[in-house]
Amino acid sequence: MDPENGRLQADVLVVGAGIAGLQASLDLADQGYSVALVERQPSIGGTMINLSKVFPTLDCASCITTPRMASAAHHPNIDLFTMTEVQAISRTDDGFEASLVKKPRFIEEDQCIGCRRCEEACSVFVPDEYDHGLGARKAISIPFTNAIPQYPVLDEEACMLCGACAKACPTQCINFVQEPRSIAVEAKAVIVTTCFDLTPMDAKKEYGGGIYPNVLSPLQMERLLAPHGPYGAVLRPSDGKTPDSIAYVQCAGSRDLSLGVPYCSRVCCMYAIKQAMLLSGSLPIADITIYYMDIRAFGKGYEQFYQNARAMGINFVKAKVARIREDEDHNLLLRIERQDTGEGPEEVQHDLVVLSLGMVPAWKPTPDGMIPLQADGDGFLRLPQSPLWPNLTTMDGVFAAGVATGPKDIVDAITDAGAAAMAAANYVERARRSAPALAGATR
Amino acid sequence: MSDINAVPRTDKAAADDVRVGVYVCHCGGNISDVVDTAAVADALSHHPDVAIARDYVFMCSDPGQSLIVDDIKAGKINRVVVAACSPSLHELTFRKALERAGLNPYLYEHVNIREQTSWVHKGDHERATRKAIRLTAAGVEKVARQDPLESIAVDVVPHVVVIGGGIAGMSAAVALAERGIGVTLIEASDRLGGRVAELPSVYPTEQTGEDLIRELRDHLFVEPLIEVRLRSRVTAMEGHVGKFRLLVTDADGASAEVRAGAIILATGFDHYRPADGELGYGTSPSVMTLPEFLGVLRDGSLANGELRIGQKTVKSIAFIHCVGSRQIEGVHAPQADGKVNDYCSRVCCTATLHAIREVQRRCPDIAIYDLHKDIRTYGRGHEDLYLQASRDGALFFRYPDEEPPVVADRSGAAVVTTKDVLTWGEELEIPADLVVLATGMQPRDISDLIAMRKLPVGADRFLQEVHPKLRPVEMAVNGVVLAGACQGPVDIGEACAAAQTAAAKAAILLSKPVIELDPFVAHVQEDLCDGCELCLAECEYQGALTMVEVQNDGGSVRRARVNPALCAGCGACAAVCPPRAINVAGWTLDQFDAMVDAIVAEDVESLARSERRARSFAPLAVTIGEASR
Repeated sequence: MDPENGRLQADVLVVGAGIAGLQASLDLADQGYSVALVERQPSIGGTMINLSKVFPTLDCASCITTPRMASAAHHPNIDLFTMTEVQAISRTDDGFEASLVKKPRFIEEDQCIGCRRCEEACSVFVPDEYDHGLGARKAISIPFTNAIPQYPVLDEEACMLCGACAKACPTQCINFVQEPRSIAVEAKAVIVTTCFDLTPMDAKKEYGGGIYPNVLSPLQMERLLAPHGPYGAVLRPSDGKTPDSIAYVQCAGSRDLSLGVPYCSRVCCMYAIKQAMLLSGSLPIADITIYYMDIRAFGKGYEQFYQNARAMGINFVKAKVARIREDEDHNLLLRIERQDTGEGPEEVQHDLVVLSLGMVPAWKPTPDGMIPLQADGDGFLRLPQSPLWPNLTTMDGVFAAGVATGPKDIVDAITDAGAAAMAAANYVERARRSAPALAGATR
Repeated sequence: MSDINAVPRTDKAAADDVRVGVYVCHCGGNISDVVDTAAVADALSHHPDVAIARDYVFMCSDPGQSLIVDDIKAGKINRVVVAACSPSLHELTFRKALERAGLNPYLYEHVNIREQTSWVHKGDHERATRKAIRLTAAGVEKVARQDPLESIAVDVVPHVVVIGGGIAGMSAAVALAERGIGVTLIEASDRLGGRVAELPSVYPTEQTGEDLIRELRDHLFVEPLIEVRLRSRVTAMEGHVGKFRLLVTDADGASAEVRAGAIILATGFDHYRPADGELGYGTSPSVMTLPEFLGVLRDGSLANGELRIGQKTVKSIAFIHCVGSRQIEGVHAPQADGKVNDYCSRVCCTATLHAIREVQRRCPDIAIYDLHKDIRTYGRGHEDLYLQASRDGALFFRYPDEEPPVVADRSGAAVVTTKDVLTWGEELEIPADLVVLATGMQPRDISDLIAMRKLPVGADRFLQEVHPKLRPVEMAVNGVVLAGACQGPVDIGEACAAAQTAAAKAAILLSKPVIELDPFVAHVQEDLCDGCELCLAECEYQGALTMVEVQNDGGSVRRARVNPALCAGCGACAAVCPPRAINVAGWTLDQFDAMVDAIVAEDVESLARSERRARSFAPLAVTIGEASR
């Protein structure tokens, strides 16, 4: 890296530092290839670092993600750029040129010691994105406890410019006038591991998501279940009561032609079962019901996990939820028709409802977008059809992994990412073999 | 390579000139808001082995690390304890700082006074401080008895053996060869391609399986780095990561040795074979498995809009899912090992619907009935198969998990009786000219290979990975990697992804001429070993611990010996050794004794009287009292 000119040469540019991007970067860097890893968020770790526990092992997500994050962040072959967005990636004679923009944190990173004095001094509270709005953070804050890197971000929109943070900072590293910075990266290959969004909470108006306070998204429930979550316990947002009866509405954002999401999102059955298990641990007397179309516990150990959940007393009801209403106490009334009893439609009351939302791509390629890739009808990146090469895209030298090419759970994303790393490594090797003089010159 | 047979020197008295530097971290208030870090440093400064004790706001920061480096370079200290966060966070950080200062990086001990003290004792500053002092004192005792260890260096053979020539094995071999790594691909049968080669058409390209295999084979044979050995089996396997030796025996009985730095297992799966009479299989001529039905689609029985089997034109087919998968104890007969196949075979739902689409496309008049528990078309585009099959008139029935359908033969035609959840439990009789059983996947019998290396196997009998979430293709046996269906059911794309990931893991191992392994392995002090062999029974790592004949006073005795490249340092052997002849380097029994003594020491007297210590620890105990303000 040449910091004066903001230029970097790397063998492979990896876009996205969620678990797939981290794994692809590590699998390349451990082979000796240099990697430029770009993440638009202030911390690496993606969605996984935000979860409570993972299925089917019930490992603490933080505990198993943080070491991966630390390995990537401290790897001598990986240059990490956080809060950095890719503006454009274009082909050159011997690879790719990417222009990146690093957004201002309003912190001099080389001086910050991560002491959080600024955060303590700040008096402005704003909803915490990391806790999906269930908690609060300061206008200047380190995004979450185990964020990497451990630098705070000053929230330009919320900051009152009172200067309390700058006074508290022991190293005078707060810079209110920091500007975005351009960085150019030359790379021989690119791996795209962009992330997913959940389908919108209010996509199905009949479920009241985003309107009724006790209808939660699955990622909100992840935070409630996390040991360092916003309330330190599972409580109803409307009144802080401990819920006695919790319902999961499966396929609330997938397998639904009316939403334009006809596909299966692959993870919702398993995360619902996992959350149900965790809930029955933290709320032993609560009734937990999962309303489903099909239980898709297809991965290794998943069916056994599902059967354990049934044996633990979690209710699995084959029924499509038609509508959710709210009573004056914010309890929720679900209109369903059970397919096992044949008693016709009925209305069932629950204290808390989780909508098992599906996955949609967070980034879709557009003709004039950052990189001229193509999307399929489902919005995810188009792959060539052959199953032999699962990571090729429509552009030579650009590979894709993880949820960029469709919904995947963590283990499938990790496997996919390793394969993408291998494909990219082999592409770099071919480039070196075919242009030895050039390759020699750039190294 | 370090002198791996040297006995660790753990007797503190024998180590000359122990000068420990103790650094207590505030962690920006994370620790110092609860623990009186200055008092901890002060208490430790009176320890006889401590030369310097400091506290600092962030030890991990560059200025914090410089404190240590400067003290080492100035010759003030020769061992280091940092009392801070969890070692998983920063142990490596500080080992590297020692290295930069020219000190052996293992003369370091990381004491966790954040997760284990300040974060869990927020309400009691005094006792939290006392606990921090004790933990740190234990760290000093440990590092005072620490040897300057060196990582174990293993030379790497830059070659990989791939066992299994199906799509996963071929895919891994091609990926490695492109990377420039030599591969020996070993296949038991006389052809490459495995199960995939049998498929009449493959989703979503609708190529034949044979075409797909041909495409890979074209890559395989242009690669001069790949040696293919057909009709061959691995008959012996020795060695360790970096240097495996395999004996490969061909059909004529000729054997050859192949050396490899890493091994990829791609031994594949077997189709579940229904028991005689299970759902009419073997007793009714109208019942066949899905793989058999795919054979029918391939062999041309389906032509001119007609499916003929024997003399019969098939007008209706019933597909039954979950045959040999998702089995329930008490409902399904157990397998040979006494267990049921309780796992989902992942691919059969999509494979069944793909076959249904094929029939619907080519013989639209055949009536299709699909009997399932759940439809699991999870993959990209798979749900479309389900939707289209339904739109084109396939009828779907859902049978209860505990009540699978019954197939009876009625005058040459099959009748399927089932209960249908979708119509509130209605009992149905479905006459069908043909019944197709969507059979699941089972692991192949590779018990010989498993026995050679004690390869880990899961409750489902498939090979088991290190961590099912984070390390899906690595095995507990270092240097052995998994690819494809030997590990559990996967489809073709997933098998190729797993194979290429496995290739990446092998390429990482082979990327340097020497692999450096952690030095924390067991050591046997031969003069203490009495050859009782209790340790052998405890060792989980094949070849890590063996008994050898040793000359002793003119006679020959048996003594335990460790192969450091295979030892995982788990300590199971050390725990059972009656004469304390086995120690794990860096974690010796003497070190543990000293740490425990430091932690439980109640007062001056008990510390001073401790028999293993040569001198009094009085100053330490006094300062513990002082620290409790």
